[in-house]
Amino acid sequence: MEFAMNVILSSVRMATPLIFLALAELYSQRAGLVHIGLEGLAAIGSLSGFLVSLITGSPLLGVAAGAAVGILVNMIYAYATINLCAEQIVYGMAINIFAPALAAFIYRVYFGAGSELVQVGLMNSLASMLGVTPTSFIGKLFLEQTPMVYLAYALVIFTAIYFNKTKSGLNYKAVGEYPKAAATLGINVVGVKYVACVICGALAGMGGAYLTTCYTTTYTDGNVAGRGFIALAAVIFGRWSAGGVLLACLFFGFCDALQIRLQVSSYGVPYQFFQMIPYIATVVVLAVIGMKKAGPKGVGKPYLREER
Amino acid sequence: MKNSSKLVSFLVPVISILLAFIIGCVIMAILGANPFVALQSLWIGAFGSLRNVGTTLARSTPLIFTGLCACFAYRCGVFNLGGEGQFLMGSIVCCYIATQSGIEGLPAILLCLVAGAVAGGLWALIAGLLKVYRGQNEMIITIMLNYVATLFMGVVYTNWLRDGSVPQTVSVPDSTKLSRLFGLRVTTAFVLALVAGLLVYYFLFYTSKGFQLRAVGLNMTAAQFNGFAVKRYILMSFIVSGAIAGLGGSAELLGTQFRLINGFGSGYGFDGVAMALIGQLHPLATIVVAIFFAALRVGSTTMQAATGVPTSVSDIIQALVIVFTVAGLAMVKLPQFKAFLGRLTDKKQKEAA
Repeated sequence: MEFAMNVILSSVRMATPLIFLALAELYSQRAGLVHIGLEGLAAIGSLSGFLVSLITGSPLLGVAAGAAVGILVNMIYAYATINLCAEQIVYGMAINIFAPALAAFIYRVYFGAGSELVQVGLMNSLASMLGVTPTSFIGKLFLEQTPMVYLAYALVIFTAIYFNKTKSGLNYKAVGEYPKAAATLGINVVGVKYVACVICGALAGMGGAYLTTCYTTTYTDGNVAGRGFIALAAVIFGRWSAGGVLLACLFFGFCDALQIRLQVSSYGVPYQFFQMIPYIATVVVLAVIGMKKAGPKGVGKPYLREER
Repeated sequence: MKNSSKLVSFLVPVISILLAFIIGCVIMAILGANPFVALQSLWIGAFGSLRNVGTTLARSTPLIFTGLCACFAYRCGVFNLGGEGQFLMGSIVCCYIATQSGIEGLPAILLCLVAGAVAGGLWALIAGLLKVYRGQNEMIITIMLNYVATLFMGVVYTNWLRDGSVPQTVSVPDSTKLSRLFGLRVTTAFVLALVAGLLVYYFLFYTSKGFQLRAVGLNMTAAQFNGFAVKRYILMSFIVSGAIAGLGGSAELLGTQFRLINGFGSGYGFDGVAMALIGQLHPLATIVVAIFFAALRVGSTTMQAATGVPTSVSDIIQALVIVFTVAGLAMVKLPQFKAFLGRLTDKKQKEAA
C-alpha cells in the first residue's frame, strides 16, 4: 500500500513536465505545425530556469525565464517553417541539435570547466506555502505539490474549453485542418501560426524549467532524457485532445515513477533495465494503438498564400 | 537553370558555414579571445601536421557511418533518428564477439564487423516493422530505441562485461584491433567508411533498385501506383541504414575506443542527421561534411588550450551551420526567390545578346 501510494504521488510529479511538453506540441500541431524540436526547447528552458533561479533565488522567476527563452528559440523555428516554408520535421531536428548545444555552451561558459556540482533550491509545495503538513494520502496528493502542477492541470482544462467551446479556438483549429479555407474566412493564418509558436515555445520552455526548478536541484546535459519525444507520443496516444493528452501523460508519468521505485527496491537486477520502462512503454503504446489517424489534416504542410 | 540550382545547393551550405563562423568569432570575441588567433589554432589543431590530420580523419570515421545511415534512410523517405542506437547495438555485439568468443586476428575482425552490421540492421528493423505494419511514427520509435540501447550498453559495461572495479568493459585483444594507417591515429575503419560511402552512392544513383528507392522517398503514392514494392523498400532502407550504423559502431570499437564506456557513441546519431542534411542527402557530400565537423572538434581542443575558449563553441558552430543550411535550402525554393533568380539570369542573357 505504501508502495502504491508513493508511486501515485511521484506519478503526478513525473507527469507534469510531460503535460507541459505535450500541450506545447498540441498547440503547435493544432495550427498545422508538427514540432519534433521540443526536446531541444526543453533543454534550453531547463538551463535558463536553472541559471535564473540560481541568480535570483526564485524558482518562479526561473520558470518565467524558461518560458521566455523557449519562445525566443522557437521564433527561429517559426520564421523558418512559416515564412521560409522549411520542412517542419527537418527544422525541428535542427532545433534539437541547436538548442542543447547552446545550453551546454552557456553552462560551460558560466561555470567554467571542471567546476563542482552547483545546486539550486526547489520550488516550495503549496502545503509549505500555507504552512500545513498534510499526513493523509489525499492531503499529500492535493496539497503537497508545487504550483507548477496546479498550473499544468489548469492549462489542460483551459485548453479543452478553448479548443471545443470558443470561436477563437475553432478558428485556431481550422488553421491546422485546412489553412486555405481558414484564410478565405478571414482568419489570419500566419498570425495564428505565430501565436502557436509563441505558446509552444513558452510551454516547452516551462516544461524544461520544471525539471530544474521543481524536480532536481542540478542541471546536467541531456536531463530532458527523451521527454520531448515521449510528449510527442502522448499527443498521438491522447488523440490530439487535451483530456486524452492528460491521461497519456499520466500514464507515461506513472511508468517513470514505477521505474524509479523499482530501481530502489531491486535486488541484483541491473537498474538500467528499470530505466528502460518508460521508453519501452512508449514503443508498446504506439505499436498497440496502430495507425488510426486522428491528427489535424494540415499538419506538416507548408502554407504559401499565393500557391493554389 | 539546372546549373544555377546546382550552384545554389552548393552555395547555401558554404554561406551557412561562413555565417556560423562569423557568429562563432563574435562569441569568441565576447569571451575575450582573439578570434583570429582562435581560428588559427583551430586550423593547426585539425590540419596543422600529418598527425593532426590523422586524428581528424579518425574522429570523422564514426560520423561518416552515422551520416551515411541517415542519408540512406532519408532517400527512401524514412526519418531514421535511431543511428545512435543502431551504432551502439553494433558495438555491443562486436564487443561480445571480440572479447568472449576466443577468436582473434583477422577472422575475428571480419566476424565482428559483419555481426555489428547485422545487429544494427536488426535493431533498425524493429522500427521498420512498426512503421510498415502498424503505421507508426518512426522518429519517436527510433529515438526511444536509442535510449533503450544506451541503457542496455550501460548494463553491459557496468555488469555483464565489467572490467574489475571500473565501469567499463574489458579491452578488445590487440590482435583484433584495426590496424593504423601510416602510423597515424586513423585506422582501416576510415577506408571502410569511404568504401561504404562509395557503395551507397553507386547504389542510389547507378542502379535501378536505387532509383526505385529514391522514387519511394520522393513520392510514395506515385511509386505505389508504378508497382514498386513500397513496403519492401522502406523495410530495406531501415535494415541497410541500421547496418551501416552498426558497422560504424563495431569499426569504432575495434579502431579507436577498444572498450565500451559511459558516453561511447553519444550524440553520433543526431550528428549523422545533421551531416546528411547539410550534405543534402548526397553520400559523398555527407562524407565531406563529416570530415569538416571532425576537424572542428579536433581543432577546438587546441583552440581551448591556446585561447581558453571552451571546446563546446564548436558544437555551437556546427548547430548554427545546420540551422542556417536548412533555412537557406528552404528559402531558395520559395517562389519569390526563384523569381528573383529568374530575373537575374534573364538580365544576363539580355546583356549577352
